[in-house]
Amino acid sequence: MSERTRIYLWRVLILVVILGGWEYLTGIKAISQTPGLYWIDPFFISRPSLIVKRFAYLASGQVRLNIWQMARSTVESTICGFVVGVTTGFAAGLVLGRNDRLARIFEPYIVAFNSLPRIALVPLITMIFGFGLAAKVVLAWTIVFFIVFFNTFQGARSVDADLIHSARFLGASERQIMRTVIVPSALAWTFASLTPSISFALIGVVVGEFLGGESGGGLGFLIIQSLGTLNAADMMVALVVLGVIGIVMALGIKQVETRLLRWRPEYRKPA
Amino acid sequence: MHGASFEVYDQEFVAIVGPSGCGKSTILNMIGALVTPTAGSITIDGQPVTGTAPQVGYVFQKDTVFPWRTVRRNIGLGLEYRGVTPVERERRVREAVALAGLEGFEEAFPATLSGGMRQRVALMRTLVVDPEILLMDEPFGALDTHTKIGLHAELLALWGAKRQTVVFVTHDLSEAITLADRIVVMTRRPGRIKMIHSVKLSRPRDVIKLRESEAYAEEYSHIWHVLGEEFAP
Repeated sequence: MSERTRIYLWRVLILVVILGGWEYLTGIKAISQTPGLYWIDPFFISRPSLIVKRFAYLASGQVRLNIWQMARSTVESTICGFVVGVTTGFAAGLVLGRNDRLARIFEPYIVAFNSLPRIALVPLITMIFGFGLAAKVVLAWTIVFFIVFFNTFQGARSVDADLIHSARFLGASERQIMRTVIVPSALAWTFASLTPSISFALIGVVVGEFLGGESGGGLGFLIIQSLGTLNAADMMVALVVLGVIGIVMALGIKQVETRLLRWRPEYRKPA
Repeated sequence: MHGASFEVYDQEFVAIVGPSGCGKSTILNMIGALVTPTAGSITIDGQPVTGTAPQVGYVFQKDTVFPWRTVRRNIGLGLEYRGVTPVERERRVREAVALAGLEGFEEAFPATLSGGMRQRVALMRTLVVDPEILLMDEPFGALDTHTKIGLHAELLALWGAKRQTVVFVTHDLSEAITLADRIVVMTRRPGRIKMIHSVKLSRPRDVIKLRESEAYAEEYSHIWHVLGEEFAP
Protein backbone atom coordinates (compact mmCIF):
# COMPACT_ATOMS: atom_id res chain seq x y z
CA MET A 1 0.00 0.00 0.00
CA SER A 2 1.44 3.34 -0.97
CA GLU A 3 1.81 6.22 1.47
CA ARG A 4 -0.88 8.14 -0.42
CA THR A 5 -3.49 5.42 -0.17
CA ARG A 6 -2.68 4.92 3.48
CA ILE A 7 -3.28 8.61 4.18
CA TYR A 8 -6.56 8.57 2.29
CA LEU A 9 -7.70 5.48 4.17
CA TRP A 10 -6.96 7.16 7.49
CA ARG A 11 -8.90 10.22 6.46
CA VAL A 12 -11.93 8.16 5.47
CA LEU A 13 -11.66 6.15 8.68
CA ILE A 14 -11.69 9.30 10.81
CA LEU A 15 -14.76 10.59 8.97
CA VAL A 16 -16.56 7.28 9.43
CA VAL A 17 -15.74 7.17 13.15
CA ILE A 18 -16.94 10.73 13.70
CA LEU A 19 -20.16 10.36 11.72
CA GLY A 20 -20.82 6.89 13.14
CA GLY A 21 -20.16 8.01 16.70
CA TRP A 22 -22.35 11.06 16.21
CA GLU A 23 -25.20 9.01 14.77
CA TYR A 24 -24.90 6.32 17.48
CA LEU A 25 -24.42 8.53 20.56
CA THR A 26 -27.32 10.80 19.70
CA GLY A 27 -29.53 7.73 19.38
CA ILE A 28 -29.15 6.15 22.83
CA LYS A 29 -31.12 7.38 25.77
CA ALA A 30 -29.72 8.06 29.21
CA ILE A 31 -32.74 6.68 31.04
CA SER A 32 -34.67 4.21 28.99
CA GLN A 33 -38.05 5.27 27.71
CA THR A 34 -37.82 8.76 29.23
CA PRO A 35 -38.41 11.08 26.32
CA GLY A 36 -35.88 13.79 25.72
CA LEU A 37 -33.05 12.47 27.87
CA TYR A 38 -30.16 11.46 25.64
CA TRP A 39 -26.50 10.90 26.37
CA ILE A 40 -25.90 13.50 23.74
CA ASP A 41 -28.98 15.43 22.82
CA PRO A 42 -29.69 15.63 19.06
CA PHE A 43 -31.76 18.72 19.79
CA PHE A 44 -28.51 20.69 19.94
CA ILE A 45 -26.26 18.98 17.45
CA SER A 46 -28.75 17.04 15.34
CA ARG A 47 -27.85 13.68 13.75
CA PRO A 48 -26.21 12.83 10.41
CA SER A 49 -29.27 10.89 9.23
CA LEU A 50 -31.54 13.77 10.12
CA ILE A 51 -29.26 16.27 8.39
CA VAL A 52 -29.36 14.23 5.19
CA LYS A 53 -33.14 14.06 5.43
CA ARG A 54 -33.43 17.80 5.94
CA PHE A 55 -31.00 18.43 3.11
CA ALA A 56 -33.14 16.38 0.74
CA TYR A 57 -36.19 18.28 1.87
CA LEU A 58 -34.56 21.71 1.55
CA ALA A 59 -33.20 20.78 -1.87
CA SER A 60 -36.62 19.70 -3.11
CA GLY A 61 -39.31 21.85 -4.69
CA GLN A 62 -41.44 21.65 -1.55
CA VAL A 63 -39.92 24.77 -0.02
CA ARG A 64 -40.43 28.33 -1.22
CA LEU A 65 -36.70 29.12 -1.14
CA ASN A 66 -34.67 25.97 -1.68
CA ILE A 67 -31.09 25.35 -0.65
CA TRP A 68 -29.70 25.78 -4.18
CA GLN A 69 -31.23 29.22 -4.50
CA MET A 70 -29.80 30.19 -1.14
CA ALA A 71 -26.36 28.84 -2.01
CA ARG A 72 -26.49 30.70 -5.29
CA SER A 73 -27.35 33.94 -3.57
CA THR A 74 -24.45 33.51 -1.15
CA VAL A 75 -21.97 32.64 -3.89
CA GLU A 76 -23.06 35.53 -6.08
CA SER A 77 -22.73 38.07 -3.29
CA THR A 78 -19.35 36.66 -2.30
CA ILE A 79 -17.98 36.88 -5.83
CA CYS A 80 -19.33 40.42 -6.27
CA GLY A 81 -17.83 41.58 -2.97
CA PHE A 82 -14.56 39.85 -3.81
CA VAL A 83 -14.26 41.40 -7.26
CA VAL A 84 -15.16 44.90 -6.09
CA GLY A 85 -12.87 44.60 -3.05
CA VAL A 86 -9.90 43.29 -5.05
CA THR A 87 -10.12 45.91 -7.80
CA THR A 88 -10.60 48.89 -5.49
CA GLY A 89 -8.06 47.59 -2.98
CA PHE A 90 -5.52 47.07 -5.74
CA ALA A 91 -6.05 50.52 -7.24
CA ALA A 92 -5.84 52.26 -3.86
CA GLY A 93 -2.78 50.24 -2.84
CA LEU A 94 -1.01 51.10 -6.07
CA VAL A 95 -1.76 54.82 -5.85
CA LEU A 96 -0.81 55.21 -2.20
CA GLY A 97 2.11 52.82 -2.56
CA ARG A 98 3.69 55.05 -5.20
CA ASN A 99 2.83 58.36 -3.60
CA ASP A 100 4.50 58.95 -0.27
CA ARG A 101 2.64 62.11 0.60
CA LEU A 102 -0.81 60.65 -0.06
CA ALA A 103 0.15 57.57 1.93
CA ARG A 104 1.12 59.68 4.90
CA ILE A 105 -2.03 61.78 4.69
CA PHE A 106 -4.36 58.79 4.57
CA GLU A 107 -2.51 56.52 6.99
CA PRO A 108 -4.44 57.36 10.21
CA TYR A 109 -7.81 57.03 8.47
CA ILE A 110 -6.95 53.69 6.96
CA VAL A 111 -5.60 52.32 10.22
CA ALA A 112 -8.63 53.61 12.14
CA PHE A 113 -11.17 52.19 9.72
CA ASN A 114 -9.37 48.90 9.46
CA SER A 115 -9.27 48.42 13.21
CA LEU A 116 -13.02 48.88 13.42
CA PRO A 117 -14.71 45.47 13.83
CA ARG A 118 -16.59 45.11 10.58
CA ILE A 119 -19.52 43.33 12.21
CA ALA A 120 -20.31 46.56 14.04
CA LEU A 121 -21.01 48.10 10.68
CA VAL A 122 -23.66 45.56 9.70
CA PRO A 123 -26.68 47.45 11.10
CA LEU A 124 -25.52 50.71 9.55
CA ILE A 125 -24.84 49.09 6.18
CA THR A 126 -28.26 47.44 6.31
CA MET A 127 -29.84 50.78 7.12
CA ILE A 128 -28.19 52.39 4.12
CA PHE A 129 -28.34 49.59 1.56
CA GLY A 130 -31.43 47.71 2.64
CA PHE A 131 -31.85 43.97 2.96
CA GLY A 132 -30.76 42.82 -0.49
CA LEU A 133 -27.64 41.95 -2.40
CA ALA A 134 -26.08 45.42 -2.07
CA ALA A 135 -25.68 45.31 1.71
CA LYS A 136 -23.95 41.92 1.60
CA VAL A 137 -21.61 43.00 -1.17
CA VAL A 138 -20.71 46.20 0.66
CA LEU A 139 -19.92 44.30 3.83
CA ALA A 140 -17.66 41.82 1.99
CA TRP A 141 -16.06 44.74 0.22
CA THR A 142 -15.13 46.56 3.44
CA ILE A 143 -13.20 43.48 4.53
CA VAL A 144 -11.61 42.42 1.23
CA PHE A 145 -10.59 45.96 0.33
CA PHE A 146 -8.21 46.26 3.27
CA ILE A 147 -6.61 42.86 2.85
CA VAL A 148 -5.83 43.57 -0.80
CA PHE A 149 -4.98 47.19 -0.13
CA PHE A 150 -2.31 46.44 2.47
CA ASN A 151 -0.72 43.75 0.33
CA THR A 152 -0.66 45.82 -2.83
CA PHE A 153 0.59 48.84 -0.89
CA GLN A 154 3.50 46.81 0.44
CA GLY A 155 4.15 45.39 -3.02
CA ALA A 156 4.12 48.78 -4.70
CA ARG A 157 6.53 50.14 -2.11
CA SER A 158 9.01 47.30 -2.32
CA VAL A 159 9.57 47.44 -6.07
CA ASP A 160 13.27 46.89 -6.67
CA ALA A 161 14.77 50.28 -7.61
CA ASP A 162 17.30 48.60 -9.90
CA LEU A 163 14.48 47.10 -11.96
CA ILE A 164 13.12 50.60 -12.47
CA HIS A 165 16.59 51.89 -13.37
CA SER A 166 17.19 49.15 -15.87
CA ALA A 167 13.79 49.78 -17.48
CA ARG A 168 14.68 53.45 -17.76
CA PHE A 169 18.00 52.60 -19.42
CA LEU A 170 16.12 50.43 -21.90
CA GLY A 171 14.13 53.48 -22.89
CA ALA A 172 10.94 53.13 -20.80
CA SER A 173 8.70 56.15 -20.22
CA GLU A 174 7.18 56.70 -16.77
CA ARG A 175 3.95 55.11 -17.96
CA GLN A 176 5.78 52.10 -19.35
CA ILE A 177 7.64 51.73 -16.06
CA MET A 178 4.27 51.74 -14.27
CA ARG A 179 2.85 49.11 -16.61
CA THR A 180 5.85 46.78 -16.95
CA VAL A 181 7.64 47.10 -13.61
CA ILE A 182 5.49 48.49 -10.82
CA VAL A 183 2.17 46.83 -11.64
CA PRO A 184 3.64 43.33 -12.11
CA SER A 185 5.75 43.65 -8.94
CA ALA A 186 2.76 44.80 -6.93
CA LEU A 187 0.49 42.16 -8.49
CA ALA A 188 2.71 39.43 -7.14
CA TRP A 189 1.80 40.65 -3.65
CA THR A 190 -1.85 41.18 -4.55
CA PHE A 191 -2.23 37.65 -5.88
CA ALA A 192 -0.88 36.24 -2.65
CA SER A 193 -3.76 37.96 -0.84
CA LEU A 194 -6.51 36.51 -3.04
CA THR A 195 -7.00 33.20 -1.23
CA PRO A 196 -7.55 34.77 2.21
CA SER A 197 -9.68 37.45 0.54
CA ILE A 198 -12.22 35.03 -0.88
CA SER A 199 -12.62 33.38 2.52
CA PHE A 200 -13.13 36.73 4.19
CA ALA A 201 -15.59 37.79 1.51
CA LEU A 202 -17.65 34.72 2.38
CA ILE A 203 -17.55 35.62 6.07
CA GLY A 204 -18.73 39.14 5.28
CA VAL A 205 -21.59 37.88 3.16
CA VAL A 206 -22.83 35.35 5.72
CA VAL A 207 -22.74 37.95 8.47
CA GLY A 208 -24.67 40.27 6.18
CA GLU A 209 -27.23 37.55 5.59
CA PHE A 210 -27.78 37.09 9.32
CA LEU A 211 -29.44 40.46 9.34
CA GLY A 212 -30.61 40.59 5.78
CA GLY A 213 -33.88 38.68 6.17
CA GLU A 214 -35.53 36.63 3.49
CA SER A 215 -35.18 39.19 0.73
CA GLY A 216 -31.40 38.90 1.06
CA GLY A 217 -31.79 35.13 0.99
CA GLY A 218 -28.63 33.11 1.26
CA LEU A 219 -27.34 30.48 3.64
CA GLY A 220 -26.82 32.98 6.46
CA PHE A 221 -30.57 33.55 6.38
CA LEU A 222 -31.19 29.81 6.67
CA ILE A 223 -28.96 29.70 9.77
CA ILE A 224 -30.78 32.59 11.47
CA GLN A 225 -34.17 31.20 10.50
CA SER A 226 -33.19 27.83 12.00
CA LEU A 227 -32.20 29.59 15.18
CA GLY A 228 -35.71 31.03 15.31
CA THR A 229 -37.27 27.58 14.99
CA LEU A 230 -34.55 25.88 17.10
CA ASN A 231 -33.80 23.58 14.19
CA ALA A 232 -30.24 22.30 14.54
CA ALA A 233 -30.53 20.01 11.51
CA ASP A 234 -31.23 22.89 9.10
CA MET A 235 -28.36 24.83 10.61
CA MET A 236 -26.06 21.88 10.00
CA VAL A 237 -27.25 21.66 6.40
CA ALA A 238 -26.35 25.33 5.91
CA LEU A 239 -22.95 24.84 7.56
CA VAL A 240 -22.06 21.84 5.40
CA VAL A 241 -23.06 23.65 2.21
CA LEU A 242 -21.12 26.74 3.32
CA GLY A 243 -18.09 24.59 4.00
CA VAL A 244 -18.23 23.08 0.54
CA ILE A 245 -18.64 26.51 -1.05
CA GLY A 246 -15.70 27.85 0.94
CA ILE A 247 -13.42 24.99 -0.07
CA VAL A 248 -14.38 25.09 -3.75
CA MET A 249 -13.89 28.85 -4.02
CA ALA A 250 -10.57 28.81 -2.17
CA LEU A 251 -9.28 25.99 -4.39
CA GLY A 252 -10.43 27.82 -7.51
CA ILE A 253 -8.61 31.00 -6.49
CA LYS A 254 -5.53 29.00 -5.56
CA GLN A 255 -5.51 27.58 -9.10
CA VAL A 256 -5.70 31.05 -10.60
CA GLU A 257 -2.96 32.27 -8.27
CA THR A 258 -0.64 29.40 -9.17
CA ARG A 259 -1.21 30.07 -12.85
CA LEU A 260 -0.56 33.81 -12.56
CA LEU A 261 2.50 33.40 -10.37
CA ARG A 262 4.03 30.51 -12.29
CA TRP A 263 7.20 32.56 -12.79
CA ARG A 264 7.91 32.36 -9.07
CA PRO A 265 10.09 29.42 -8.05
CA GLU A 266 7.87 28.54 -5.08
CA TYR A 267 4.86 28.11 -7.37
CA ARG A 268 6.59 25.91 -9.87
CA LYS A 269 5.38 22.38 -10.08
CA PRO A 270 8.02 19.99 -8.79
CA ALA A 271 9.56 18.21 -11.78
CA MET B 1 35.79 60.53 -4.43
CA HIS B 2 37.95 63.46 -5.35
CA GLY B 3 39.67 64.87 -8.42
CA ALA B 4 38.91 61.89 -10.63
CA SER B 5 39.05 62.91 -14.26
CA PHE B 6 39.49 60.79 -17.35
CA GLU B 7 38.27 60.49 -20.89
CA VAL B 8 36.87 57.50 -22.69
CA TYR B 9 37.24 57.51 -26.46
CA ASP B 10 34.75 56.32 -29.00
CA GLN B 11 34.72 52.53 -29.41
CA GLU B 12 37.11 52.13 -26.54
CA PHE B 13 36.86 49.49 -23.81
CA VAL B 14 37.86 51.01 -20.49
CA ALA B 15 37.92 49.14 -17.19
CA ILE B 16 37.94 50.79 -13.79
CA VAL B 17 39.57 48.77 -11.00
CA GLY B 18 40.05 49.60 -7.36
CA PRO B 19 39.27 48.41 -3.84
CA SER B 20 35.62 48.27 -2.77
CA GLY B 21 34.18 51.56 -1.64
CA CYS B 22 36.58 53.63 -3.76
CA GLY B 23 33.75 55.05 -5.85
CA LYS B 24 34.17 53.14 -9.08
CA SER B 25 30.47 52.28 -9.24
CA THR B 26 29.65 55.88 -8.37
CA ILE B 27 31.55 57.04 -11.47
CA LEU B 28 29.44 54.67 -13.55
CA ASN B 29 26.23 55.85 -11.89
CA MET B 30 27.19 59.44 -12.64
CA ILE B 31 27.73 58.65 -16.30
CA GLY B 32 24.37 56.89 -16.28
CA ALA B 33 22.75 59.85 -14.48
CA LEU B 34 21.65 57.69 -11.54
CA VAL B 35 23.75 59.91 -9.28
CA THR B 36 24.36 63.64 -9.70
CA PRO B 37 27.97 64.70 -9.02
CA THR B 38 28.32 67.19 -6.14
CA ALA B 39 31.12 68.89 -8.05
CA GLY B 40 32.55 68.54 -11.52
CA SER B 41 30.80 67.38 -14.64
CA ILE B 42 30.24 64.46 -16.98
CA THR B 43 29.93 64.98 -20.70
CA ILE B 44 28.98 62.60 -23.47
CA ASP B 45 30.00 63.76 -26.96
CA GLY B 46 30.60 67.19 -25.48
CA GLN B 47 27.08 67.44 -24.01
CA PRO B 48 26.71 67.55 -20.22
CA VAL B 49 24.77 64.60 -18.80
CA THR B 50 21.43 65.68 -17.36
CA GLY B 51 19.26 62.58 -17.55
CA THR B 52 19.40 59.00 -18.74
CA ALA B 53 20.84 59.29 -22.24
CA PRO B 54 19.09 57.16 -24.87
CA GLN B 55 22.36 55.91 -26.34
CA VAL B 56 23.53 54.51 -22.99
CA GLY B 57 23.01 50.89 -21.93
CA TYR B 58 23.63 49.70 -18.38
CA VAL B 59 24.27 46.20 -17.08
CA PHE B 60 23.95 45.89 -13.31
CA GLN B 61 25.80 43.52 -11.03
CA LYS B 62 22.53 42.61 -9.41
CA ASP B 63 20.17 40.39 -11.26
CA THR B 64 17.77 42.82 -12.95
CA VAL B 65 16.11 40.38 -15.30
CA PHE B 66 12.34 40.73 -14.81
CA PRO B 67 11.30 37.52 -13.04
CA TRP B 68 7.73 37.60 -14.38
CA ARG B 69 8.82 37.72 -18.01
CA THR B 70 10.16 34.85 -20.05
CA VAL B 71 13.65 35.05 -21.57
CA ARG B 72 12.19 36.10 -24.91
CA ARG B 73 10.05 38.85 -23.44
CA ASN B 74 12.94 40.06 -21.26
CA ILE B 75 15.24 40.46 -24.22
CA GLY B 76 12.49 42.20 -26.19
CA LEU B 77 11.80 44.68 -23.40
CA GLY B 78 13.86 47.59 -24.75
CA LEU B 79 12.45 47.11 -28.24
CA GLU B 80 8.95 47.11 -26.79
CA TYR B 81 9.66 50.37 -24.94
CA ARG B 82 11.00 51.96 -28.09
CA GLY B 83 7.94 50.99 -30.09
CA VAL B 84 9.62 48.53 -32.45
CA THR B 85 6.99 46.54 -34.39
CA PRO B 86 6.29 43.02 -33.09
CA VAL B 87 7.61 41.39 -36.27
CA GLU B 88 10.89 43.27 -36.17
CA ARG B 89 11.08 42.70 -32.44
CA GLU B 90 10.64 38.98 -32.90
CA ARG B 91 13.43 38.90 -35.49
CA ARG B 92 15.93 40.82 -33.37
CA VAL B 93 15.12 38.84 -30.24
CA ARG B 94 15.64 35.59 -32.12
CA GLU B 95 19.00 36.88 -33.32
CA ALA B 96 20.02 37.86 -29.80
CA VAL B 97 18.89 34.52 -28.38
CA ALA B 98 21.05 32.75 -30.95
CA LEU B 99 24.05 34.99 -30.23
CA ALA B 100 23.80 34.29 -26.52
CA GLY B 101 23.31 30.56 -27.03
CA LEU B 102 19.97 30.65 -25.26
CA GLU B 103 18.04 28.63 -27.85
CA GLY B 104 15.49 26.37 -26.24
CA PHE B 105 15.13 28.68 -23.25
CA GLU B 106 13.05 31.38 -24.96
CA GLU B 107 9.92 30.54 -22.97
CA ALA B 108 11.71 29.82 -19.69
CA PHE B 109 11.21 32.06 -16.67
CA PRO B 110 14.40 33.47 -15.09
CA ALA B 111 13.92 31.50 -11.88
CA THR B 112 14.65 28.30 -13.83
CA LEU B 113 17.97 29.60 -15.21
CA SER B 114 21.47 29.62 -13.73
CA GLY B 115 23.10 32.87 -12.66
CA GLY B 116 25.30 32.89 -15.75
CA MET B 117 22.35 32.47 -18.08
CA ARG B 118 20.38 35.18 -16.34
CA GLN B 119 23.28 37.60 -16.70
CA ARG B 120 23.51 36.65 -20.37
CA VAL B 121 19.83 37.54 -20.74
CA ALA B 122 20.52 40.89 -19.03
CA LEU B 123 23.46 41.51 -21.39
CA MET B 124 21.48 40.66 -24.53
CA ARG B 125 18.54 42.73 -23.32
CA THR B 126 20.88 45.72 -23.17
CA LEU B 127 22.68 44.99 -26.45
CA VAL B 128 19.57 44.31 -28.51
CA VAL B 129 18.68 48.04 -28.53
CA ASP B 130 22.17 48.83 -29.91
CA PRO B 131 23.52 51.26 -27.31
CA GLU B 132 26.56 53.28 -28.36
CA ILE B 133 27.82 53.40 -24.82
CA LEU B 134 27.75 50.40 -22.54
CA LEU B 135 28.15 50.82 -18.79
CA MET B 136 28.82 47.61 -16.89
CA ASP B 137 28.95 47.49 -13.10
CA GLU B 138 30.70 44.26 -12.10
CA PRO B 139 28.29 42.34 -14.31
CA PHE B 140 30.04 39.02 -13.71
CA GLY B 141 30.91 39.67 -10.06
CA ALA B 142 28.50 37.10 -8.67
CA LEU B 143 29.53 34.29 -11.02
CA ASP B 144 32.06 31.48 -10.58
CA THR B 145 35.37 31.71 -12.47
CA HIS B 146 34.42 29.13 -15.06
CA THR B 147 31.16 30.86 -16.05
CA LYS B 148 32.90 34.21 -15.87
CA ILE B 149 35.62 33.28 -18.38
CA GLY B 150 32.99 31.92 -20.75
CA LEU B 151 31.13 35.20 -20.57
CA HIS B 152 34.36 37.15 -21.13
CA ALA B 153 34.80 35.36 -24.44
CA GLU B 154 31.19 36.04 -25.41
CA LEU B 155 31.39 39.68 -24.43
CA LEU B 156 34.60 40.17 -26.42
CA ALA B 157 33.06 38.53 -29.48
CA LEU B 158 29.93 40.67 -29.25
CA TRP B 159 31.94 43.80 -28.64
CA GLY B 160 34.28 42.97 -31.50
CA ALA B 161 31.33 42.96 -33.87
CA LYS B 162 29.69 46.23 -32.77
CA ARG B 163 32.46 48.14 -30.97
CA GLN B 164 30.39 49.99 -28.43
CA THR B 165 32.20 52.35 -26.11
CA VAL B 166 32.41 50.40 -22.86
CA VAL B 167 33.07 51.44 -19.28
CA PHE B 168 33.46 48.31 -17.22
CA VAL B 169 33.76 48.43 -13.42
CA THR B 170 35.37 45.48 -11.65
CA HIS B 171 37.51 44.59 -8.67
CA ASP B 172 38.99 41.66 -10.55
CA LEU B 173 42.26 42.69 -12.22
CA SER B 174 42.47 39.61 -14.47
CA GLU B 175 39.03 40.45 -15.80
CA ALA B 176 40.08 44.02 -16.53
CA ILE B 177 43.24 42.97 -18.37
CA THR B 178 41.40 40.31 -20.36
CA LEU B 179 38.76 42.74 -21.61
CA ALA B 180 39.98 46.31 -21.65
CA ASP B 181 42.02 48.62 -23.86
CA ARG B 182 42.77 50.90 -20.94
CA ILE B 183 42.55 50.38 -17.21
CA VAL B 184 41.83 53.15 -14.72
CA VAL B 185 43.31 52.22 -11.33
CA MET B 186 41.68 53.94 -8.35
CA THR B 187 42.98 54.42 -4.81
CA ARG B 188 41.02 53.36 -1.78
CA ARG B 189 38.58 55.80 -0.23
CA PRO B 190 38.60 58.73 -0.82
CA GLY B 191 38.93 57.48 -4.39
CA ARG B 192 41.34 59.18 -6.72
CA ILE B 193 42.77 58.02 -9.99
CA LYS B 194 46.16 56.51 -9.31
CA MET B 195 47.10 55.41 -12.78
CA ILE B 196 45.67 55.04 -16.23
CA HIS B 197 47.27 52.14 -18.01
CA SER B 198 47.02 51.09 -21.67
CA VAL B 199 46.85 47.34 -22.06
CA LYS B 200 49.32 46.23 -24.71
CA LEU B 201 47.64 42.99 -25.71
CA SER B 202 46.59 42.49 -29.30
CA ARG B 203 43.03 41.68 -30.34
CA PRO B 204 41.23 39.41 -30.91
CA ARG B 205 42.12 37.90 -27.56
CA ASP B 206 41.78 34.28 -26.57
CA VAL B 207 40.51 34.52 -23.00
CA ILE B 208 41.96 31.13 -22.04
CA LYS B 209 45.36 31.24 -23.74
CA LEU B 210 45.81 34.88 -22.82
CA ARG B 211 46.16 34.03 -19.18
CA GLU B 212 49.24 31.88 -19.69
CA SER B 213 51.00 34.35 -21.99
CA GLU B 214 54.02 36.29 -20.81
CA ALA B 215 52.56 39.58 -22.00
CA TYR B 216 49.55 39.04 -19.75
CA ALA B 217 51.78 38.24 -16.78
CA GLU B 218 53.76 41.41 -17.40
CA GLU B 219 50.62 43.54 -17.55
CA TYR B 220 49.32 41.92 -14.42
CA SER B 221 52.45 42.44 -12.33
CA HIS B 222 52.87 45.99 -13.62
CA ILE B 223 49.35 47.01 -12.57
CA TRP B 224 49.33 44.94 -9.42
CA HIS B 225 52.49 46.68 -8.29
CA VAL B 226 50.39 49.87 -8.17
CA LEU B 227 46.97 48.44 -7.25
CA GLY B 228 48.32 46.06 -4.60
CA GLU B 229 49.42 48.95 -2.40
CA GLU B 230 45.78 49.94 -2.05
CA PHE B 231 44.95 46.59 -0.53
CA ALA B 232 47.80 46.73 2.01
CA PRO B 233 46.59 47.46 5.55
